[in-house]
Amino acid sequence: MAVPTAPSSAPEQRSLALNLDMRMRKLGQSVGRPLFAVILAMIAGGIVIMITSPGSLIDRFNEAIAAYQALLTGAFGNPQNLSFTLTTVTPLILAGLSVAIAYRVGLFNIGAAGQLAVGAMTAGIIAFEVNTWPGWVLVPLMIIGAMLAGAVWGGIVGFLKAWRGAHEVVTTIMLNWTAFYFTDFLIDGPFKAPHSTNQTDSLPAQATLPHVAAFYNSTLGAFLPKIDQPDQYLVDVGIFFALAALIVFWFITARTTFGYEIRVIGQNSKAAKYAGIPIKRNIFITMAIAGAFSGLAGALQLMGQFPYQLIATTFSLQSTGFDAIGVALLGRGSALGVLLGALLFGGLRQGGTGMQLNANVPGDLVFIIQALVLFSIASEFLPAIQRSLPKGLKFARRPALVPATIGSTVVDLPDNSAAQNGAAASEIQDVDMFDSKTVPSSTTDESSIHRIEED
Amino acid sequence: MFLQVLFRVLPSADLWQSTLQFAALLLLPALGGVISERSGVINIAMEGMMLTGAYAGVMTALATHSVIGGVIGAMIAGGLMALVHAIVSINFKADQVVSGIAINIAALGLTNYLLFIQTGGQGVPTLSDALRLPTLSWGPLANIPIIGQVLFQQNIIFYVAVLVLLGIQFLLFRTNIGLRIRAVGEHPQAADTAGINVRLLRYMCVISSGLLAGLAGAFLSLGIAGIFNSNMTAGAGFIALAAMVFGKYTPWGTAGACIIFGLGEALSVRLQDSGVSPNLLSTLPYLLTLVALVGLVGRTVAPAADGIPYEPGGAE
Repeated sequence: MAVPTAPSSAPEQRSLALNLDMRMRKLGQSVGRPLFAVILAMIAGGIVIMITSPGSLIDRFNEAIAAYQALLTGAFGNPQNLSFTLTTVTPLILAGLSVAIAYRVGLFNIGAAGQLAVGAMTAGIIAFEVNTWPGWVLVPLMIIGAMLAGAVWGGIVGFLKAWRGAHEVVTTIMLNWTAFYFTDFLIDGPFKAPHSTNQTDSLPAQATLPHVAAFYNSTLGAFLPKIDQPDQYLVDVGIFFALAALIVFWFITARTTFGYEIRVIGQNSKAAKYAGIPIKRNIFITMAIAGAFSGLAGALQLMGQFPYQLIATTFSLQSTGFDAIGVALLGRGSALGVLLGALLFGGLRQGGTGMQLNANVPGDLVFIIQALVLFSIASEFLPAIQRSLPKGLKFARRPALVPATIGSTVVDLPDNSAAQNGAAASEIQDVDMFDSKTVPSSTTDESSIHRIEED
Repeated sequence: MFLQVLFRVLPSADLWQSTLQFAALLLLPALGGVISERSGVINIAMEGMMLTGAYAGVMTALATHSVIGGVIGAMIAGGLMALVHAIVSINFKADQVVSGIAINIAALGLTNYLLFIQTGGQGVPTLSDALRLPTLSWGPLANIPIIGQVLFQQNIIFYVAVLVLLGIQFLLFRTNIGLRIRAVGEHPQAADTAGINVRLLRYMCVISSGLLAGLAGAFLSLGIAGIFNSNMTAGAGFIALAAMVFGKYTPWGTAGACIIFGLGEALSVRLQDSGVSPNLLSTLPYLLTLVALVGLVGRTVAPAADGIPYEPGGAE
């Protein structure tokens, strides 16, 4: 860990080797645990299928295999299914980023679902109010409006947390249901389509996003070979917005002072305070950004996919907001990880439908698998297993990371300008953000500080 | 128009009867939450535990041909979900919020999955009266105008909920065990030093919250609805969570919050012809809780060690 302090006759070489070792270990950690969680969950899901299906043990085993085959085919088996899966991946990436950025500052954003709802609602309202405007004005306006609405909804959480100390888990749940019922009220009230219940009109045609295949045919397709039957590929250009958002997220968190500051706050708010980082303001801004990501997810969902209209009670039934938590945890809060997590969860979601159709196993099994993924990624199975092993078998434990890191960070950070200090930055990064000892949360923070002082 | 309907509805015994019915439905899981959080384990999984209870209640009632069997099945199912939460968050030190979310997702998936498997996608039939929780009528007391209907013609679970409320108030603030629970939730290290088994006590509290949520699930499926539908709790567990926070983690405060929220629910059904959207009224519990959190009606503060896994001896 202590790269800068390693004394050696060839310091550069040594630190390079150490660096490589550290990087490999980090890679192992960041890939190993999510992979372990997913495999464990899939096995447990298979056991559930085996328990509930009829026949001999072999029959049951074959049933489970067939179900997973159908799941995989349904999710990624052919270009149509893949493109269908990608339609769910778009909002999952964005909502996952929303949860991930909040996690950086040490907050748990359970409010992605509500922020998504107000975002979609705002985009819809803009489209209905000015439905005669041309698409090149309307579409950006809707997207910006949705992001702003989401930012407000998330910003409230940040404000209440920073200035009033209200626990974000409770406030986000309250704001979620407020958003669900309030959008239901708007959908079934002022914006209800004439002669119908519980739904709005469809968006005007110029306010919708084209499908990727159709978009390609009408642009690049003029010079390159066209895609046959573009209608069968459902993914819309919203996926590009999601990919752009991944890059924005990476840039904010890895390349800006702000990204560094929120990480310090998340790891240790006392150290951040000592370093002169404006904690309250940063918490507020982070939650606003988190809300904007979710709001964008809502807008893209509305504008990109059939039926291009808002329907009451869909937001409270949709699982995107909660899936996003799994996505962010699986992705360990990194951009690439969120992308992979979103592909997995989106694949499960679409594959579940295929499983029900082709293997006659209820698609709801996917929920069980997702829950198991969450359980196993949140639990510290490995340390618990290790504790129960006999002494000789225990592998060497590295010393707890928090005290060392925090100690050096505080010393290395005389003021804000040190935020660009590369060594300190890399040390902060190394803290396993999902290790329970370092879970950035204001409550655990108090106790870890306490512990450090005792040390 | 709105006020006219409101004033017509407010004095009716009917309204208050269903207010108390909703309140009891919310009170059971909310009290479970109070116990769990007082012992230092965050529980946002009341929704999932209720749903599991509702499903298990109907299924065991059908299988055993007995409503008591159904209630027991529901409580066991809720307790098992809570046991998972306890194991994961106490032994494996998982983030309790994540574990709670996972329980909610698992409950939704599991009930839908089993419903499909066990009924072949048909869904369960409406229960016969013999398999439903009875409404008690207290003889002459039930005939008192208004009060009789409101207080003495309620489902049996309503009276159970009142007893549970009194019991938990007594348990938490008048007994040794209650003192220990609160100590474990505020300062586990000190409690451990004093010889209290922190983990065991937390296990007990989390499992009790599951039993109570399961009972509420049975009340919903076997008492109020008489049928099980997919995702039938529809957020009731989250209103219970709101009631717990609004009630500042105290039994009496939670009961008060449940009555306010129950009134909101009962009103939203009856005000449909008044021009005010029931959806708009449904936002009230959550908005009120936010106001309480902001501190306009006295600040809500969670127990000090809420959500922190306990490690004996501090850092290892």
